[in-house]
Amino acid sequence: MDGDSSTTDASQLGISGEFVTSGQYVFQSQDDDGEENLNDHDDGGIKENFREQDIYLPIANVARIMKNAVPQTGKIAKDAKECVQECVSEFISFITSEASERCHQEKRKTINGEDILFAMSTLGFDMYVEPLKLYLQKFREAMKGEKGIAGVPGGDGLGDELTDDNFTNPLPAGIITADGQQQNVMVYTTAYQQIPTVQQIQFS
Amino acid sequence: MKMSQNTPDKEDQSSTNKKTISLPISRVRLIMKSSPDVSSINQDALFLTTKATELFVQHLAVASFNNGPGKATNSLSYTDLANTAEEMETFHFLTDILPKKILARDYLQSLEQMQDGNDDDPDF
Repeated sequence: MDGDSSTTDASQLGISGEFVTSGQYVFQSQDDDGEENLNDHDDGGIKENFREQDIYLPIANVARIMKNAVPQTGKIAKDAKECVQECVSEFISFITSEASERCHQEKRKTINGEDILFAMSTLGFDMYVEPLKLYLQKFREAMKGEKGIAGVPGGDGLGDELTDDNFTNPLPAGIITADGQQQNVMVYTTAYQQIPTVQQIQFS
Repeated sequence: MKMSQNTPDKEDQSSTNKKTISLPISRVRLIMKSSPDVSSINQDALFLTTKATELFVQHLAVASFNNGPGKATNSLSYTDLANTAEEMETFHFLTDILPKKILARDYLQSLEQMQDGNDDDPDF
């Protein structure tokens, strides 16, 4: 992938020589422009100094889920879609702060799945808990299954923060959490098969 | 078929809902990180939150649709959502961001009524 746009040529970088040390200087010109267009893709991007409380999920995604939930012929007002968009961010923050609090109480730094499920239960969303556990199980199984067939995926995103892609490709066993904690990952192989006859030979 | 964030060639590998999620996980993570004192989030937590958010959207949409007068008109409006937030305890946390809208003239009318009712109360 041509993501490595590094150069040591000061003139290309547009900086004067005094900023360049005698060693190699690598300039990453590729910005994380995923930060723009945080709210929806219709308004052509937002100012760079976004306020944290204004981070929303894309309205197209939200609207699609709503549409699939209500009866086929139902209509949804535009301000209703925008409103749900805001409610969603509120919901995520609501759950997260509750989970985070529990985490801190138990002197842990990483919010894990249990914290989230517990938070939901506490906050009146316990009806989600059982379905979510099932989804998580299926998700893990699907990942394991693919991993056995496809092996290790491409190197993009490794050592990086989780991207959307990571959830569709099999993950390597070593990278599960953002802070490097190894989670319980079972690596299944079919290489070892217990063959009774072999053992018998050994003992005879 | 439900669209997802996957690249097209992954579609046949998974049925919807099994492991595909129709919301951008990176964005969910960003929102989670904006909460104070959140240092790191493990993968399970991220997945669960994203999936829960999907369920939440469905839940809110359906509850509001069935609850409000919109059911008769087969449409979902802001008012349906505001009413649902007030009436259903599960959605009480939304009441601050879902104030009920009121027509200006209704507001003025009720103001007038308040003033009429307090004519004999000099302390108002």
